[in-house]
Amino acid sequence: MRLPLQITSLSIFTLLFIWATYKLPDWLPVDIFLRLDPLVSFTAILASREIIHRVLWSLLLIGATLMIGRFFCAYGCPMGASIDFLDRFFFQKEKGRGKLKDEKLRKLKFIALVLFFGAAVAGVALAYFLDPIALLTRFYTFFLYPLVITLLNLFLDLLRPLFKALGLVRLSHFYYPQPFFYMSLITFLIFSAVIAFNYFAPRFWCRYLCPLGALLSLISPLGLLKRRVTERCNQCLQCQRACPMGAIPEDPRKTRLPECIQCRSCQEVCPKDAVRFRPRTSTPLAFPGEEGYLPTSLSRRELFFSSAGGLAVAFLTDRTPFTPLHGKYHLVRPPGAIPEAQFLSTCIRCGECMKACPTNTLQPCFWQSGLAGLWTPRMELRLAGCEQSCHVCGKVCPTQAIRSLSLEEKNHAKVGTAVIYKEKCLVWAQDKLCLVCDEICPYNAIVFRTIEGYRRPVVIASRCNGCGYCELKCPVQGDSAIVVVPSGQIRLKEGSYVSEAKRLALEFKPDPGDDKYILEQSGLKVKDGPGDVPKSFPPRPAPPQQKAKPQKPKGFL
Amino acid sequence: MRALGKGITRRQFLKGTATGLTTLGFMTSSSLGLATGPPDLAVISGDPSAATRKALEVIGGISRFVKKGHKVVLKPNMSFARPPEGASNTHPEVVATVARACMGAGASRVMVIDHTLARPETCLEASGILKACENIKGVHVLALQHRKFYQEVKVPGAKFLDKVEIAKEALECDVLISLPVAKSHSATGISMGIKGYMGLIYERGPFHYKFDINEALADLATVIKPQLTLLDATRALVSGGPGGPGEVLRPNLVIAGTDPVAVDSFGVTVAPWYGQKFKGRQVEHLLAAFKRGLGTIDVEQLRIFKGAA
Repeated sequence: MRLPLQITSLSIFTLLFIWATYKLPDWLPVDIFLRLDPLVSFTAILASREIIHRVLWSLLLIGATLMIGRFFCAYGCPMGASIDFLDRFFFQKEKGRGKLKDEKLRKLKFIALVLFFGAAVAGVALAYFLDPIALLTRFYTFFLYPLVITLLNLFLDLLRPLFKALGLVRLSHFYYPQPFFYMSLITFLIFSAVIAFNYFAPRFWCRYLCPLGALLSLISPLGLLKRRVTERCNQCLQCQRACPMGAIPEDPRKTRLPECIQCRSCQEVCPKDAVRFRPRTSTPLAFPGEEGYLPTSLSRRELFFSSAGGLAVAFLTDRTPFTPLHGKYHLVRPPGAIPEAQFLSTCIRCGECMKACPTNTLQPCFWQSGLAGLWTPRMELRLAGCEQSCHVCGKVCPTQAIRSLSLEEKNHAKVGTAVIYKEKCLVWAQDKLCLVCDEICPYNAIVFRTIEGYRRPVVIASRCNGCGYCELKCPVQGDSAIVVVPSGQIRLKEGSYVSEAKRLALEFKPDPGDDKYILEQSGLKVKDGPGDVPKSFPPRPAPPQQKAKPQKPKGFL
Repeated sequence: MRALGKGITRRQFLKGTATGLTTLGFMTSSSLGLATGPPDLAVISGDPSAATRKALEVIGGISRFVKKGHKVVLKPNMSFARPPEGASNTHPEVVATVARACMGAGASRVMVIDHTLARPETCLEASGILKACENIKGVHVLALQHRKFYQEVKVPGAKFLDKVEIAKEALECDVLISLPVAKSHSATGISMGIKGYMGLIYERGPFHYKFDINEALADLATVIKPQLTLLDATRALVSGGPGGPGEVLRPNLVIAGTDPVAVDSFGVTVAPWYGQKFKGRQVEHLLAAFKRGLGTIDVEQLRIFKGAA
């Protein structure tokens, strides 16, 4: 039963990942695995001091574990399934893997668990680093996804001449846009390490490192289904060898219940059919000492140091100048991102938003927000803009660090304002004919205005949403001459962006009307001559052969 | 001599015949075109599909350009995610009518292509062109965004634009038909057929930062030479172009011709741009194209057929 269930679980996980795109229907919860994950859920709730309704699904898994035991690790966890499959692939031959200092190593995952909760108490999110579901999703997003697309495109390119010869027009022009992500190497290395550790023992990660496993193992011994061994047992120790978790100690009639993942391998290999998984009520099968509950717990000392460690790491993460500087460095967050301090404690760095983003503008931070911001999503607008007709990032965010907004709300969730660097702009600095930012702006926030006889592009800040298409398309080589800065961003923990925009007299719906109409609306006076030139604008000497040609639009003689 | 009810005099007969023949001659040359061939410009008023059909008929029929087995490329404006009323894209009915006519004339396939500025799926959908053409057999509507679909060509005799990457489909086709919409443009004044060639190239950036856009357009027009230009002036985006939103007027005209400069030049006269009237010669890029000998800019010299659908 185990293999088919694992295949199903991993397939569902992969399928949901594939479906996390721009066209996602509202009813499909592609982030369900993350919502069910109690580690990221509870630490996010604790760190952000908010009951995040969306992740209360994880109580289901807690409940199920209380009833059945740590079954999730064997059947449901996609990381567990990946480990088992890759184990079969890479380490098949290493049957007699060495005995390790098992007891000491087992504590590691509990230390990690306490550390993460300690940090969460201090308001800092750290669990993402070792949470298996988040880790796997990151691996999928930053490594597997771009790789698969590259391979698909390679395949299509090879077949393109054939398609053309066969007259298959659509196929011969078909390709998948290639996604690019930062942090792909680090993510790959971490995942590889998780798999590579299996060299030393099967399910090394699950036994010794997985904090989610540690959390579940705290309550799994309370489960109804426990491993029981009948008198038929001849102590052949086959079960001990077969157990992937090393949950069967010297005495095979006992079980390390916290480590048992209900996989039934012991039952399958037992030559005497002596193993049963039964609730306590079936007393006739009970053996003396059947509980065999050998708890792997931390000593008081270890508990203390782990908690202190969590607080210490939280301190080191949070008490850096990045914290007081929130909003004062160049960082553009996705639309609907909650205010920065809370964002950092709520985001579980799963990568779903970055995967779903249709333009590929969402990228993981490395140091842009310090250690506290590792892997959190930001917009790389020179790479791609934020699509006006899309609102998927909030839809897929499991902890709602990015709020799920309607399209209208999202278009009012201003992320920044475009600013023109006049020394770099082709029109301002070189009198060239460029209009690309005006042309591409979906909010009609860039207009041409006559200044000293020349038509120059200006940004109407009250109409600019910060979507970044101008920054993307600016044809200047090197840095863009128009850059979206976080100034003017609206980040609401709750409430309507539309109302907030109205309150601030911002307008994100372009009205039909020509440039002049828009200029008048914005309060700028359209006058020719140097009179109303803003003070910051460096005064330009009038070019020699010019007669002011204010009346004719560009392109006309 | 006065007729006395017995028929007409010889003089009267001769006069009548002369008048009749002259009238017939005028009628023939202006409405049937039999005597002198198709006109230089067909200017037809009416709703998009009917006016397009009639314009094609008047300009000599689609079979004048498209023969059996030909691969046809239509280049409309579909670079913006705006609906037909916005007038920044060619009317979908105009595109569909031309596409249908090409297939009817025996074309092996018709590709409707553009290198869109905004996101391709939204442009093709919002413009209505994908939907209008989806049920016409043999017609494919595509946005060509990736460099692999372009090929670098040299531009001999170019003043500035020495080489440019052009869509392979446009280079390899048998017939290229330009289907622009009449709209204003905040850098080039207006954007019609010649400006529309920018949708067939991969990199637009150099046209802004490297070259003078008007000269570069004229250079581009020396290598992109559609056999037919059909200007959709059913709506004209007279301000806020090329993407809009802006003021939309409705001249309700379709203008067809083989001379791209002439078509554009006539198109300049059909609406006031930014509130002022202009002539073809006042548009920098058209003048530059004219100076390279790419067509006629003074449309008064041409044979123009004006009619209704």
